[in-house]
Amino acid sequence: MKFILGILKDEFEIVNPDLDANLTEAYEFDSIDAIALLEYVEEFINKPLTQEEKKRAMEIRTVNQICDFIESVLP
Amino acid sequence: MERRVVITAASAITPIGREREEILRNLLGGVSGIKRFTQQDDLLAPYLHSKVYGLVDYEIDYGFSRKYVKTLGPVSYYACQAAKEVIAQAGLSQDMLSSGRVGVAFGSTHGSPTVQRDIYEAFFDNERRGYAKINATDYLKSMVHTTAVNITRMFGITGRVIASCTACTTGSQSIGYGYEAVKYGLQDAMICGAADERDTTTVAVFDNLLACSTAFNDEPHRTPRPFDVERDGLVVGEGAGAVMLEDLEFARARGAAILAEVIGFACCNNGGDLILPNADGVIRTIKMALENACIRPEDVDFISAHATATKVGDVVEAQAISSEYGDRPVVVGFKSYIGHTMSACGAIETIFTLYLMQEGIVVPTLNLEEVDPRCGMINHSLKVKELPIAIASVHNFAFGGVNTVLLLKRWS
Repeated sequence: MKFILGILKDEFEIVNPDLDANLTEAYEFDSIDAIALLEYVEEFINKPLTQEEKKRAMEIRTVNQICDFIESVLP
Repeated sequence: MERRVVITAASAITPIGREREEILRNLLGGVSGIKRFTQQDDLLAPYLHSKVYGLVDYEIDYGFSRKYVKTLGPVSYYACQAAKEVIAQAGLSQDMLSSGRVGVAFGSTHGSPTVQRDIYEAFFDNERRGYAKINATDYLKSMVHTTAVNITRMFGITGRVIASCTACTTGSQSIGYGYEAVKYGLQDAMICGAADERDTTTVAVFDNLLACSTAFNDEPHRTPRPFDVERDGLVVGEGAGAVMLEDLEFARARGAAILAEVIGFACCNNGGDLILPNADGVIRTIKMALENACIRPEDVDFISAHATATKVGDVVEAQAISSEYGDRPVVVGFKSYIGHTMSACGAIETIFTLYLMQEGIVVPTLNLEEVDPRCGMINHSLKVKELPIAIASVHNFAFGGVNTVLLLKRWS
């Protein structure tokens, strides 16, 4: 969670987000941001995401869902 | 339906400045924007014979938010800044911009070469991270229509998009095609222009063709020298130019200030050699533009020549001008001040022409000290002088054999 909040703040200018808010609707987090965020996730877990994992990530809408996703792809 | 098309705003980022007054001051003062090129890019710069460049070496406070910056390469920073300024100057509301009746005609030579180089690094990455090294937004920053669509994105513009990419005629085509879109009622307004960022690969191309200036590396301000006996080639430059074109009635209805009218445009191809200039092609383009504007050659008072200062190109253009206009209109080569800003040259030179037209003054072709006798048959501007310019013509020619002529009329 700390990692994600840090990335959201430093790279996407999203500070103290509502963890269950829809990022697109509440913070103008768009498709470009989503793809960029995945690159940070790959760096964090230190392995490339598979195509299937990336497709699954495209369904993510909230910070809590991002955290759940990261837990699911941790090696 | 044919409508009259007017210019209601203009903005440029050039090696001799950005603001209208600054640009005019430097044109009138004979200030060159050509500098010694000192950038070390670990790529081509050390190998180039030409060491001069038309540099935008001042800071620009863009003030773009993160939301937009993430898809901007250097070329789109220039483009969006110029677009931002013409939108503000023209006073178009957000409702108008998002009405579908306002479009964008904007281009660059080849998107962002700086970002493209970053992408190519993936091929030479020793850690073999492969495509992962390519950033998610690299394509959006580097693609050839990056300037046009970043403008639409930043300003919520929903009309048509025309992204010319015809090298040195990109800017003039953008204005010309924007003019046609408004003239024929397809759009009420068009933001038109072009931009190119600093790039050594462009210099290398012309360097290898022996078309770049090399004899004045230690005296950058003395080159390029359009039409001069000592000219030794072009000087690559960077920058951007944008104009707002509007339907006259649309502009009048909202009380917009009108700067000038675009009365004609022509574009054609030489239909053969992709590099060598072609007098027949240029003459044909001039004739088509005059016909398009329904005016005669003697109506044109001023010509902004393409005039890159290459050995052959200037002679061919002088021959074409002489053939169609004789020696009446005053001819100026603006590249002598700013270098060849590639895709942006047509837009920037249109704006310079507009400024001089508004002031009723002409400036000399810089560094034109001794006219090449082969270029001597036309009316070169050799000093600052007052001249009411009712109608001006802007010439641009590009690799690929593309020729454009724009015709502007003073607004009074």
